[in-house]
Amino acid sequence: MTERTPSSSNDTGGIDRRDALKLVGGSTLAVALAGCTALIGDESDDSTEDADVPDEPIEAGLQTFTEGAPAVLGLQAQYGAETAVRRINDDGGVAGREIDLDVVNEGDEHIQNYRRFVDEGKDVTFGPISSGGHEAMVPEIEDRGVVNVATDGTVTTLYEESFPDATYSFRFQNHDVMEALAAVNQAVEVLGADSIDTYAGINPNYAFGQDEMALFSSGIEKLTGAEEVYSGFPELGADDMSAHVTEVNGTEPDVVFSSCWGGDATLLLEQAHANGMFDSTDLLVGPVLYGSANDLSADLVDGPIYSGSRNFYWDEPGTDRWTPAADLVSEVQSEYDVVPTAHFMSGYGAVTAWATAAEKAVDILGRWPEQDEIAAILEGHGFFTPAGYHTIGADHQGYSNAHFGELGWSDEYDAAILENVNVFAPEDVSPPPGTVSGDWIDTW
Amino acid sequence: MSRARLSTGNLPTVVRVVLVVLGLGVLLAVPDLARVTPLSFATIHKGLLFGLAAVGLNLLLRHTELVSFGHVAFFGTGAYGAAVLATYYEVSSGLVLLAGAVLAATAVALVVGYLVAGHLDIYFALLTLAFNQVLFAFVVQSSFFNSTDGLSVRAGGVDRPSLLGLDQLLVSAGLDPVQAYNYVLYYLTVAILVVMVLVTWKLVNSPFGRALDAIGQDRTRARFIGIPVERYVWIAFTISGIYGGIAGGLFALLQLHVRPEPVLFAFVSGEILFMAILGGVGTLVGPVVGGVILVYLLDLARFYVTYYHALTGIVLLAVVYFLPEGVLGSLPALGAAIDRRRRDPGLVRNDVEAVVSSVRRGVHRAVTTVRILVFGVN
Repeated sequence: MTERTPSSSNDTGGIDRRDALKLVGGSTLAVALAGCTALIGDESDDSTEDADVPDEPIEAGLQTFTEGAPAVLGLQAQYGAETAVRRINDDGGVAGREIDLDVVNEGDEHIQNYRRFVDEGKDVTFGPISSGGHEAMVPEIEDRGVVNVATDGTVTTLYEESFPDATYSFRFQNHDVMEALAAVNQAVEVLGADSIDTYAGINPNYAFGQDEMALFSSGIEKLTGAEEVYSGFPELGADDMSAHVTEVNGTEPDVVFSSCWGGDATLLLEQAHANGMFDSTDLLVGPVLYGSANDLSADLVDGPIYSGSRNFYWDEPGTDRWTPAADLVSEVQSEYDVVPTAHFMSGYGAVTAWATAAEKAVDILGRWPEQDEIAAILEGHGFFTPAGYHTIGADHQGYSNAHFGELGWSDEYDAAILENVNVFAPEDVSPPPGTVSGDWIDTW
Repeated sequence: MSRARLSTGNLPTVVRVVLVVLGLGVLLAVPDLARVTPLSFATIHKGLLFGLAAVGLNLLLRHTELVSFGHVAFFGTGAYGAAVLATYYEVSSGLVLLAGAVLAATAVALVVGYLVAGHLDIYFALLTLAFNQVLFAFVVQSSFFNSTDGLSVRAGGVDRPSLLGLDQLLVSAGLDPVQAYNYVLYYLTVAILVVMVLVTWKLVNSPFGRALDAIGQDRTRARFIGIPVERYVWIAFTISGIYGGIAGGLFALLQLHVRPEPVLFAFVSGEILFMAILGGVGTLVGPVVGGVILVYLLDLARFYVTYYHALTGIVLLAVVYFLPEGVLGSLPALGAAIDRRRRDPGLVRNDVEAVVSSVRRGVHRAVTTVRILVFGVN
């Protein structure tokens, strides 16, 4: 047997540079966003100070909905990304480089926005909110090779089936299966599996709404044996949902599931109350109703309404022992006059995922990393935010705790809140690595 | 109606030839210009495609004097024609995708044209708008077209279409695959654009074009002299739609993903109409110039200006009030005015005086209004 000797700096005895980065990236190195100089290891570690890193700021681009009805979510993502950037820059930047963040309205121009960012020489891009937009972007991202960390665009099939071998495209927010199954678990916990015989759905008519309803249906039928009695798909941004509410009233399901968000969520709750839907059903579970926390009113949240809050609810986990988390709500309120929702964390987390991975890469390489090196680090990367601990899987999907609670009202914040919040660990609401969600649910 | 002008009015032939060569030179140099300037190559490319659709729309607008508010229907049909072939039939040849786009747009233009050819004025405009919206609603509701999420124009969802192997040739010569694809597609667009502009020029100067002019001036008279009005309008409408189809097919190849809002929504029809007006309805290539300018404004202003929608409105107002003949159509008048002032510099003083007195009048009116508001009397 001959002993193999590494022949060059790139040859590490059978493990190439990319694999080495993956191994290191795959370790659950805990990093926290308190500014990037303190991200990796202990604060006395000054390995990045000697690294060969350019002086210029990091040019970053975020596309999100900054106008129109979807801005309810989009602005939160913008606030989150800006807050993360502000904190990183205040603490010295990523390996000494500050971040310049450009924000543009995503509209229907996802591919053009990404192309424009790349043409402008952006080092990294973030966003979008839209599921369809994210799906359209992925092949372009793979072609152009500038890392994009999507804030949302959470369709489950995206990385499971459509693009299982992506290199540069990542997503921070939990994907649909995690919130749809959190909704299933929440419904079962509130009503009990034996009390759920029928269910209905009112979901927006596009990839996200269809994906969420399909996953919820699979999950609740497996857990309770319930039967679907109605499923309606109003258009995104619909101005009337009363026909769907009437259908629900006619079928009197035990549980109604709705992934409506933004203005659609507000409209659904208004028309559900006006048409007495909560007399016809025992429970409404909506994974993103709380995304409209700042737009809801006290009377709208009255009733058996439970909402998800994706991978972040501002009161979870307990925030009193870590300054970046403890200060978050007051900082966001004073800066933007809103209560942060899960979409705030979409922006905050996407920036943090990339920034901590870039810092880690500099620490390992001793120089500023190439795009493929940051991409390799991001696979299996672990990091903290005020929402808790997150990992980006080898499938490029972010995994975090999923939150679900009862909608209530806070006079103190003049906004909706969640009470009795349940926290579901990623492994309880998403399939094991390499398994398609639908197949996994079928095995229940 | 005078002969269709390639660009501007009564210019000497030599000047026209120079302008055409210069225009072609600029078109061919766009990728290089974009490398050394902040110009966006992709945006100019997209602008040319919408400009091509606007050239088709202008055939109706200028000659038959019919205003279509639904012309993006053919652009969208072309784009979706290509996307359906790529998504459901895994067609990877760019030319086959383009052929599919043209066929789909032609079929839809034939049907819609047949149904609207007998109508005039506001009825024609509203009918075209209605058909556009029916098509949009159908696509948005249809799972076959993947509703608002749209369809990929990549065979298997990943691979870019092939462009006669020319893109691969450039790749093997060391060019980045994305760049190679975009360069080949751009020059294919330029070639098609030039051919289509020449076709339009021949068409509008043919007996058929003259007949369209006659129809535009007075349908009854045209009918009396033996022109089969409805049939000619139908043919003109279909040809006009084909331009949209070709542009839509090329747009699909450029964007590689087609969604209903950007290629089928009625507002985009309004934008194509605006492109023709902005560039100059009375000129042949004005709509192309209008397409590039408007797409540039719509796509890039939002990266720099918060209220970019207002910017588009301001440009529209400026065109209507100050350049009613459009950017290209106003060049002769502007040129003549500059020429007059060069010969008689005294005119510049008159201009300045006119502007100053206009501003003075405006300020005086504003002061008077404020005085009345504050004191109740003048």
